[in-house]
Amino acid sequence: MNFDPVPFPLLQSFLLWLLVVGSATCIVLVVSLIATIATVGARGPVVFANELGAMVGDLVSLSPRRIFALAQLTFREAVRRKALMVFVVFAILFMFAGWFLSSSNLAPEFQVKVYVSFVLRAISWLILPVVLLLACWGIPEDIRLRSMHTVVTKPARRLELVIGRMLGYSFVGLTVLAVMGVVGWGWINRQLPESAKSQLICRQPIRGELTFLDREGNPTKEGINVGDIWMFHSFIEGATKARAIWTFEGVGPHVLDNEGNLLLENRFQAFRSHKGDMRRSIYFQYTFVNPETNARVPYQLKTVDEGRGRTDRINRTLLNIGESSKTDGKKYDIIDDMVSKDGRLTVEVACVDPGQYLGMARPDLFVRTADLPFYYGYFKAVACIGLMVLLVIFMGVSVSTFVKGPVATFLTFCVVIVSYGARDFMGRIVGDPIALQKAAQYSGLQEMKKLEGGGVLESIYRILWHMNPTTELPAGPSTTIMQFIDTGLVNFLWLVYRILPNFDYFSESLLYVANGFDVRFDSCVLACIMVTLAYFGPCVLLGYFALRVRELEAK
Amino acid sequence: MNNLTSQQRKFVYLGAILLLLIPIIWLGMPADGTPNSGGMISRLRQELDLGESDLGDLDPSGAAMNLALLGLRGVAANILWMQADEQKNHKDWGELRVTTDSIIRLQPHYVKVWEYNGWNLAYNVSAEWDAVPDRYFWVKEGGKFLQRGVERNRRSPDLKWHVGRIYGPKIGLSDEARFFRRFFYQDPDPQYDKGPDPEFNNSSEDNYLVAKRWFQEANDAESKARQTIMDRSIFRSYPARSQLDYAAALYKFGFKEEYDREVGDRKLTDEEAKALEIRVREKLKEQTRQAWVLGLDDWTKRYGQELFSVEYLPGIIVQMRLEMAEDELRSLGKTPEGIAQLRRAVDQYQKMNNYRYWRTRALCESEPETAEAHWALFAASEEYRKQSPAARTFAEQSMALFEKTLEKYPELKDEDNFVEEALTAVLVWNLYLRLEGEKPPEMFPLKSLWDEKQAIVPEIERRFERDSRTNY
Repeated sequence: MNFDPVPFPLLQSFLLWLLVVGSATCIVLVVSLIATIATVGARGPVVFANELGAMVGDLVSLSPRRIFALAQLTFREAVRRKALMVFVVFAILFMFAGWFLSSSNLAPEFQVKVYVSFVLRAISWLILPVVLLLACWGIPEDIRLRSMHTVVTKPARRLELVIGRMLGYSFVGLTVLAVMGVVGWGWINRQLPESAKSQLICRQPIRGELTFLDREGNPTKEGINVGDIWMFHSFIEGATKARAIWTFEGVGPHVLDNEGNLLLENRFQAFRSHKGDMRRSIYFQYTFVNPETNARVPYQLKTVDEGRGRTDRINRTLLNIGESSKTDGKKYDIIDDMVSKDGRLTVEVACVDPGQYLGMARPDLFVRTADLPFYYGYFKAVACIGLMVLLVIFMGVSVSTFVKGPVATFLTFCVVIVSYGARDFMGRIVGDPIALQKAAQYSGLQEMKKLEGGGVLESIYRILWHMNPTTELPAGPSTTIMQFIDTGLVNFLWLVYRILPNFDYFSESLLYVANGFDVRFDSCVLACIMVTLAYFGPCVLLGYFALRVRELEAK
Repeated sequence: MNNLTSQQRKFVYLGAILLLLIPIIWLGMPADGTPNSGGMISRLRQELDLGESDLGDLDPSGAAMNLALLGLRGVAANILWMQADEQKNHKDWGELRVTTDSIIRLQPHYVKVWEYNGWNLAYNVSAEWDAVPDRYFWVKEGGKFLQRGVERNRRSPDLKWHVGRIYGPKIGLSDEARFFRRFFYQDPDPQYDKGPDPEFNNSSEDNYLVAKRWFQEANDAESKARQTIMDRSIFRSYPARSQLDYAAALYKFGFKEEYDREVGDRKLTDEEAKALEIRVREKLKEQTRQAWVLGLDDWTKRYGQELFSVEYLPGIIVQMRLEMAEDELRSLGKTPEGIAQLRRAVDQYQKMNNYRYWRTRALCESEPETAEAHWALFAASEEYRKQSPAARTFAEQSMALFEKTLEKYPELKDEDNFVEEALTAVLVWNLYLRLEGEKPPEMFPLKSLWDEKQAIVPEIERRFERDSRTNY
C-alpha cells in the first residue's frame, strides 16, 4: 500500500473539536450580544437572554413526528426535482466504462485496483454534485416561494425545519448511493476479467512497527535512499548487518490459517547496484525473533516478487536452518517459542545478495489473517462515501439558511474542493503536526518543518526584494508590524483550517478496497463517522440560528 | 417587435433560423468520397488533409470523452499529466497505465505525448521492475502503445521510428538482450503457451528485422513529412543499421537461441547434442554471412546512395551522397572550391554516421574467411568451457583466419570489436595451453597484435571469464 494507516486519535480529536466548537460558539454569542445591545440599547441583554432561552426551549421540545413529516416532504420534493435522473448519467457511464478500462494484459492486482477505484470514484463524483445542489437550493427556494413562511407559522419550529431538511436529503442521497453501490458491485463482478476475480478479496492484516539496523548493525531511524523521488520506502543493503525489523502485536494461534501456517505477506522492492544474476530476483531472508527470550530462527531464502508482493506460508513448526555458527538443528513452534507472552513477534528481514538492496515501508510486511469476502470491504467503503454525502448535505443545508441558492452552492462547493485539495497545504502553513507528519510521510522524510517564508505580507516582501526564505528580515518597526499582521492572518487561517472537514479519511476507504484490504475501523470508518458527527451538531445549530435571526419574508 | 404577438415572434425566429441555416449547410455540406465533393469546409479539409480520418484511425471513445468534457480538455489533460507523474513516482503502475490511456484519448494527435509515454513505459517503468519477464512486459506495453500511436497518426515518421527503436535497440541492445530476444518469440506469459505475444510479434522474424521494417516505414513517411528527432542523414540510416545489427546479433546470440529452439523439450544424448551443435553452427555460419552481405548492400547501395541536401557551412547548402565516386564529386562540385567543399562535407558526414566503419565491417564480415573465423572462435570458447581438446584446434583455426582477415583489411587493427575478438581467440588458445601445462611457442598467428595490445588483455580476460560464468 502506498499509505501508512494509523489509528484515528479519538480523544485528541474530540478535545480539539470541543476547543474549536466552543471558541466558535463563544465568538457567535459575544458578537450576537453586542449586536443586540447596539440594536435595542439597554434592553439588549434581556432580549438576548430571552432569545437564548427560546432557542434552548426549541432544542428541548423537538418533535420527531414533525421532523419526519418535513423529511418526507423534502424527499418528495427532491424526487419531483428529478434528482433521480443521476441514475441515467450513472447508467451511461457504466455502459461505456469498458472503453476506458481496457488494459486486460495488466497483472490481476492492478486490474482489480483500476476497476474498484473507477467504480468508487464514479459513485462519489456523481452523487456529490446532486446532493450538493439539492441541499443548497431547498431552503432558499422555500424562502423565495414563501412556503417557508407558511411552514414556520405552523407548530413546526425552525430547528425542526433544518433537521427535517437534512434528514430528507440524507434519505435521498443514501437511497441513490445504495442503488449505485449495489449496481457498482455487480458491475465489478461482471466486468472484471476472469483471471483477476480471485483478487477480489479483503485482506485483514496485522501490521507491525518498523525499525532499522544500518550496515554496521546499529539502530537507525531509516534505511538508505536509493534515489527514489518519493522516499516512502527505505532500503537495506545486501550481505551486511543491515536489517528491517518488524514487531507485530496480538499474534497468537488465532492468526494461523486452517492448516496451521502463519501467513506473512510482503510488498518488498528490489534495487540492483549491479546486474548480478538476472535469471532470478533478489534474495531476502526472514529471521523470527522472540522479543522476550531473544531466541532467533532464520527462515529459508525467498526471492522478491516486486510489484506484486508475495505471501509466504510459514509452517508453524520452524526448523532452525542456522545463521552461520548458531545452527542448533532444533525445531521451534512459531507461536509457543517465538511469540512473547504478551503476543509480540519480531521478524527481521535481511537482503542476502551483496551489492543489492531491498526496499520497504511499514505497511510492506504484515501478518495476513483470514480474508474476508470482497463485498465486506466494498460496502464499508460505500458506507464511508455515504458519510461523506451526509457531511456535504449538513454543510449545504446549513449554508443555505443564510445565503441564497447560487451562493450557497458556490460556498459549499468551494469548501469541498478546498478541503480536498488545499487542506494539507494550509496545514503546513499553520504548522499542524498531523499535516506536517503527512507531508513528511509523503516525501519520505522523518520530519517536515512548517513552511518557511512567513505569512502573506512577509512572503510578498520577500518576493519583491528577492530574499530567499532563510534570509533574516531587517530588524525594525515595519518588520514587527508586518509579522504582527501575518500572525493574525495565520491564526485566522488556523481557524479556517480547523473548520474545514478532513476529506482524506473518506478517500482512504477507497484505497483500502482497491488495494485488496478490508477498510480498517480504527483508522478509517471510525474517523469518517466522527468527522460526520462532528459537523452535524454545529451545522444544525448554525442553520437554526441563521433561520431564527433571518427575515423570512425577504426574497 | 414588441407589437408582435407571441405566435408572430415565433415565426420570425423560425425564419431567422432557416436563413442562417442556408450558409451553414452550403459551407459545411459533407463530402461523398469523390474528389471536390461537399461544401467549402469539406473541400478545404480534404485539400489540407485536416480531417480526423486523414490523420489516422478514428477513436470513438476519445471523441466521446472530448465531447463530454465540454471544452475542458486542456484542464483535464493537465490534471491527468499531474496524476501520471505522481503515479510514476509512487510506482503505481496499474493506475499509470490507465491514466496514460486517458491522456492519449484526450490528445490523440499530439505526437510528443505518444513519444513521451511510450518511452516512459518501455524504458523507465520497465527498469523499475526486478524480474526480467516483468521488464519485458513493460517493454511490450511501450511498443504496443507506440503502435497505437502510429495507427492514430499514420503520417508521423517520428512515431514509426520510435516503434523501430523499441523492436531494435531496446530489445536487442539492453542488458537483458539475451532474455528479451528469447521472449520475443517465446513470451514468458503463460497465456501465450510458449509462443510469442501476437499483439507484439505476429511474425517469426528476428526483432531486428521487425525493427528494420518499422525504420523503413519511418523513412517512407519521412519522404512526405518532416521528422523532428535527429539529423536526416542519421535518421535514414536506421533500416540498414538494423540489418547490420541483425547480423551481429546472430553471431552473438544466434547459437544458443537456435540450439534451444531445435532442442525444445527433448532430452538429447551426448552424440545427438554434439551433432546438433555442429549442424546449428554450420547453419548459422552461412546465415550470418548472408545477413552481412545484405547489410553491406543496404548500407552502401541503398543508404549510401541517398541524396542529402546538407548545410555544410552557415548559408552553404550542398547536395551529397555518403557513397560518392570521384567523377560524381567533380560533376556535383563544379568548381575546384566546390569540389573541395563537397569532399569535406562527405568526409564529415561519413564520420558523423560512422559510415566507413560499418562499410569496412560489413565488407569484412561478408568474407567467408571472417565468418569462419568467428564461428571457429565461438566453437573454441564452447569447447574450452567443456575443457575439450577441440578448443585448441578451433582456437588455432580462428587465429589463422583472423590474421588473414587482418592482412586484407589492416584498418581493422584500430577497430575495437575486431581486435577484441582476435585477442579472445589468442586468449582461449593460451588458456587451453595453460590448462595442459604447455608453454606458447615463440611464433604464433596474431603475435604482433597480441604483443601490441597487451594493455587491454587483462580486461578481455575478465570479460571472457564473466561471459563464461553467465553463459545462459
